[in-house]
Amino acid sequence: MVATLIRVTGDWDVAEEAAAAAFERGATTWPRDGVPRTPGAWLTTAARNLALDRLRRRGVEAGKLQELGVMQTRAGRTPPDPADEATDGPAWDDRLRLVFTCAHPALPLESRVALTLRTVGGLSTPEVARAFLVSEAAMAQRIVRAKAKIAHAGIPYRVPGPEALPERLSGVLAVLYLIYNEGYAASSGERVQRLDLAAEAIRLTRLVVTLLPDGEAVALLSLMLLQHARSAARVDSDGELVPLEEQDRSRWDGAELAAGLSLLESLAPEVWGPYRVQAEIQAVHARAGSAEDTDWHRILSLYDLLPKTPFVTLNRAIALGMAAGPPAGLAVLDELAAAGRLTGHHLLPAARADLNRRLGRRDLAAGYYREAIGLAPTGPERRYLQRRLAGLG
Amino acid sequence: MEYLLLYAEGTDPQPYDPADDTIAAWVADVEARGVSEFGERLRPGQDATTVRVREGRTLTTEGPFTEAKEWVGGLDIIDCRDLDEAIAIAARHPVARFGTVEVRPFVRWPDADPGARVVPPGLADRPVKGKRYVMFVCADPFGETGGQDDPETWVEEMDGRGVRLFGEVLRPPADATQVRDRGGRVLVTDGPFTEAKEWIAGLDLIEVRGLGEAIEVAAAHPMARGGSIVLSPLWPLDPEDDHVARAEREAPERGRRLEPRVGVER
Repeated sequence: MVATLIRVTGDWDVAEEAAAAAFERGATTWPRDGVPRTPGAWLTTAARNLALDRLRRRGVEAGKLQELGVMQTRAGRTPPDPADEATDGPAWDDRLRLVFTCAHPALPLESRVALTLRTVGGLSTPEVARAFLVSEAAMAQRIVRAKAKIAHAGIPYRVPGPEALPERLSGVLAVLYLIYNEGYAASSGERVQRLDLAAEAIRLTRLVVTLLPDGEAVALLSLMLLQHARSAARVDSDGELVPLEEQDRSRWDGAELAAGLSLLESLAPEVWGPYRVQAEIQAVHARAGSAEDTDWHRILSLYDLLPKTPFVTLNRAIALGMAAGPPAGLAVLDELAAAGRLTGHHLLPAARADLNRRLGRRDLAAGYYREAIGLAPTGPERRYLQRRLAGLG
Repeated sequence: MEYLLLYAEGTDPQPYDPADDTIAAWVADVEARGVSEFGERLRPGQDATTVRVREGRTLTTEGPFTEAKEWVGGLDIIDCRDLDEAIAIAARHPVARFGTVEVRPFVRWPDADPGARVVPPGLADRPVKGKRYVMFVCADPFGETGGQDDPETWVEEMDGRGVRLFGEVLRPPADATQVRDRGGRVLVTDGPFTEAKEWIAGLDLIEVRGLGEAIEVAAAHPMARGGSIVLSPLWPLDPEDDHVARAEREAPERGRRLEPRVGVER
């Protein structure tokens, strides 16, 4: 509804206020007059009238109506988009426009994430602030600035044309993946995962998939579901991290795994972007009965399809250590360390420690564990590495 | 909506390839869209002159305000549907392939006539009577504060003298968008092209007898005291000209200052 109002009024704040006021009005009149046959349409109409009313009143003093007038005049000067004319268009259309506006690349990345959660996801500003561990005031200001840029820079409220769509859709997916990752593997703080954020990202990605069935969007949803299915098993009763090989696979969410796998199977063979590859890697884990049964050779060949970033190389080296034995993996990690591209990141010494531990080289492993502990950014990761170090005996 | 497109060269280690500098195709596209209000190439950075007034004295320096290598090599003012169309237009410009195009919205005054445009109609038909400079009005954290800084008096005086052909204030750099094309991929990011502390807050097109008068006009602007003014002479070009031959012909001109030398206090 807010999405529809934004299109009608061209003003985000007025739209949000009017939506809230319409709900309030419904709450007082429905018990008295009965619930209308189509409550959704009633609310939208009521909110639209309230919003336009408010704009008219404010227009005199603040020039808001003029801004709206300018937008209309401009639309009249260039051939109008037929979709802009249909004020009663389906609400899904409006939500899709909103997704693209919030994830517009002219906005700073952190604003795109915040605005998507706030406006498309419907989270309150304090909730978004908590999710990213910033103060409410700072988050409120970030959102206000983003909305101001949308208005002043003329960021449109529409789905991009075919020329720009692939690039822009991948920007939308990147924002959703960022929200998901922050939920799945919190980059700071004391908690292993923030399921609220991960669940929100899944909900939004599902929305995008419904609105715009695109192969890579489906693949991203599959990737999220396949990882999210392991949430309960990733954390023990003390809230500590449990690595994949030690997880109790009976605690994986079977329904979510099945949904993820079936999405992956529905993809056309030519859809083979980075989200598909990562989802396929997760699917190998999902299908394996245990860590030992995992088809590491398939995982290796999937990693070969991804761009060779330092992190992909690192993960591939771990998979190689599992497929061909720790020395093969260690050789790649040595090269990676010599290249210096992951200097200062805890994952590199952690991987070297792990492969050395598997070879029974306790002293080497202990040294790398200590290095990784010093670099680990979150409490759960630090404590996991400390347990590993203690476990060397 | 009206936007200023600033073509910043030297922002990237991307090599300049004259064969790729296909300006004629871009001009044809913009003409077909009917969005162009104004467009000029500017002389390279060494021909810019920066004017500041500090403690009542006019200080002039050669080159743009910024210590960095990048500077504006040209600009366009377009009136198009929204930011996405402006980005599409910017992305097709040759400079997007070897530099950065900065898209800046203008300030929209609440009391302005909705039909008014930044560039007055008929400017293209007005005969050039003197020398034209683009005057970039720059905000600068080191400028003097206090005193009268409303440019209204300056605008009235310069309009009256027939010196100022048009001018407008820009939205701040937070509302800027950068557009690049790297190997056919359009990269869009937020913010201005330069990390410098100074930023372009507005611009005017002036027509004067020469650099001396341009400096006098710039020094009279209140922002010469509160910030700095950069005077960039136009560098006309014929889009139909063979662009490879032009690049070759102009190469010797790119490295030396053709404007009168400045740098003395007056």
